[in-house]
Amino acid sequence: MGPKTVVEKTLGGLALLAMLAGSYVGLAVVPADAAQGNVQRLMYVHVPAAWLSFLAFFVVFVMSVLYLIQRDPRWDHVAASSAEIGVVFTVVTLLLGMMWGKPTWGVFWTWDPRLTTTAILLAIYVGYMALRSFADDAEKRARWSAIVGVIGFANVPIVYMSVTWWRTLHQPPSSPRSVAPDILWTLMLNLAAFTLVYAYLMVRRIRLSKLEGELEKRMAYNA
Amino acid sequence: MERGTTLCLVGPNGAGKTTLLRLVATLLRPSGGDAHVMGHSLRDEPDEIRKRTGLLSVRGFLYDDLTAAENLNFTMRMAGLRPSREGIARVLERIGLAEVADNRMRTFSTGMRKRLALGQLLVRPIELALLDEPYSGLDSQGMRLVDEVVGEFKAAGTTVVLASHQDGEAVREAEQTGVLRKGHLEILPESEPLSRHLSVGGPAGAPGTH
Amino acid sequence: MHVLRRAWAIVWKDLLIEARTKQSFNAMVFFAALVLFIFSFALGPDTELLQKVSGGLLWVGIAFTGLLSLSRTYQNEETSGGLEGLRAYPGDPRAIYLGKLLGNIVLLLLVEAVLFPAAGILFQANLWPYAGGLVAVALLGTVGFSLVGTFYSALTVNLRAREVMLPLLLFPALVPVLLGAVNATTLILEGDLMGEAVVWLRVLTAFDIIFFVICIWIFPIALEE
Repeated sequence: MGPKTVVEKTLGGLALLAMLAGSYVGLAVVPADAAQGNVQRLMYVHVPAAWLSFLAFFVVFVMSVLYLIQRDPRWDHVAASSAEIGVVFTVVTLLLGMMWGKPTWGVFWTWDPRLTTTAILLAIYVGYMALRSFADDAEKRARWSAIVGVIGFANVPIVYMSVTWWRTLHQPPSSPRSVAPDILWTLMLNLAAFTLVYAYLMVRRIRLSKLEGELEKRMAYNA
Repeated sequence: MERGTTLCLVGPNGAGKTTLLRLVATLLRPSGGDAHVMGHSLRDEPDEIRKRTGLLSVRGFLYDDLTAAENLNFTMRMAGLRPSREGIARVLERIGLAEVADNRMRTFSTGMRKRLALGQLLVRPIELALLDEPYSGLDSQGMRLVDEVVGEFKAAGTTVVLASHQDGEAVREAEQTGVLRKGHLEILPESEPLSRHLSVGGPAGAPGTH
Repeated sequence: MHVLRRAWAIVWKDLLIEARTKQSFNAMVFFAALVLFIFSFALGPDTELLQKVSGGLLWVGIAFTGLLSLSRTYQNEETSGGLEGLRAYPGDPRAIYLGKLLGNIVLLLLVEAVLFPAAGILFQANLWPYAGGLVAVALLGTVGFSLVGTFYSALTVNLRAREVMLPLLLFPALVPVLLGAVNATTLILEGDLMGEAVVWLRVLTAFDIIFFVICIWIFPIALEE
């Protein structure tokens, strides 16, 4: 891909700094939770990861809609990049959730609405990317994944509501969160850090995607 | 092309005759540029073209488990027409399938299927007929049927484009001939002998130098 | 309306072919019966347990069976020139979606008409008192399943590895339908005083309406060449 551009370097540097700051505060500065102990610190990474996975997916949705309206391949590059990065964040969210769940609830998995919805979100992402890998023609790939991106996203709120109903009919909702100011503040810091990481990864990935697109076009001419 | 005339497409296998016909029939989207068929743009108004175009394709759009009459019935309904039993019977009579009207297509021979496919073009009013290898699979009687139908199209002012390896009256009567080679279409001047580009009865050999 | 007439032509054609060949119907019924039997074997003779999970089991059967028929939705078009043949006709391509959708719904409902009584027998559950509620769930659930299923089959029909892609895409999309259908069925069979089941029926209805609008709207884009 060649050397990093100025934008990439700046974003990368900022992201790194922010992550270091966030981790330091989360691990060392903020006091441990009275009830849950140090395990609770996982929240400082789990929650931002979850937010970002949804943000990334929202970006996929917006870009998919834009692509369907304008058919500009730029939107497709952004959508695909966001989906890939979104998968990473989603997996991180789920793993951290499981890591937090075992000591706290005693199980790796519960059918908590948020966790369940995140798992389904992962399935949608994976489907999106599998679809892309099976479509050879660039235009078809962009169009079909845009459709899946739109429908998949439209589904998420419905899934969330259905699972919530399902859980509340059977069990009381889990983990009420108290929001002490220093916890909130640390959370915000880490959220900002994660967002910067997302932005950095996006910029790199989009550039790579455009290069791949170019390569594809050239290979088609030579075929 | 001028309305009401016939163009015959020739060329070696793989030259793109079928692709060209499918493009004009709006089954394929042009990867670049545009064309106008009967005054309508291929890119922007494909539906207008579809309303007036009939395609006789090599694979055919026929259902094995429906009878001949039912297949034609379906074609008419999908084209937005109200099918009438007499109308369908008349077409079946014309293409020589009146006796097997209520037999399922599964029992048909290749030639019979080809005739039925031809019939699909006759049940709707079309201004442009695209025939892809109309003679293939047909016996001499069937080939004569194709020639007659093309003649009827001409008389009705329907424009005809046919792609054929085989020689036949319709081919020879075509006002224009185009040679398609590797994606390039060249319309031959009238004096050019067609026989250089055709073979009788079988797949085409290599055309002459050009 | 032309669209409806053409859609109806497609439904007529598909059901006529199905009635003659019985290809899909037989395969589906057999498959569904197999699923029911295997579950019965797995859960053993404990009839109380069977009755409790019968709602879920039924819908597992329906989901897999439906998936089977979806793969064939456009496949029987293969010999006749495929989806392309239908696209060559003038008019709104949405007629194709509607036609295929209705065909799928009817077929699946017919299979369910056999499946539900069979489940009642195998699981020793008396279904008749709950027939009304069960019919409602079956209808709403089948419509939801077919809406998304028909749409995604059209999308994946020309894809390599479509047998993998279809269930992969379908699974997350069907979660609300399955949750709704399974829970509603189970509640109804437990004699739910129609309190909670109604909530699920509403979820199903909302899903059906939302996705009907979305799928019908986007279908022409999915079908573009």
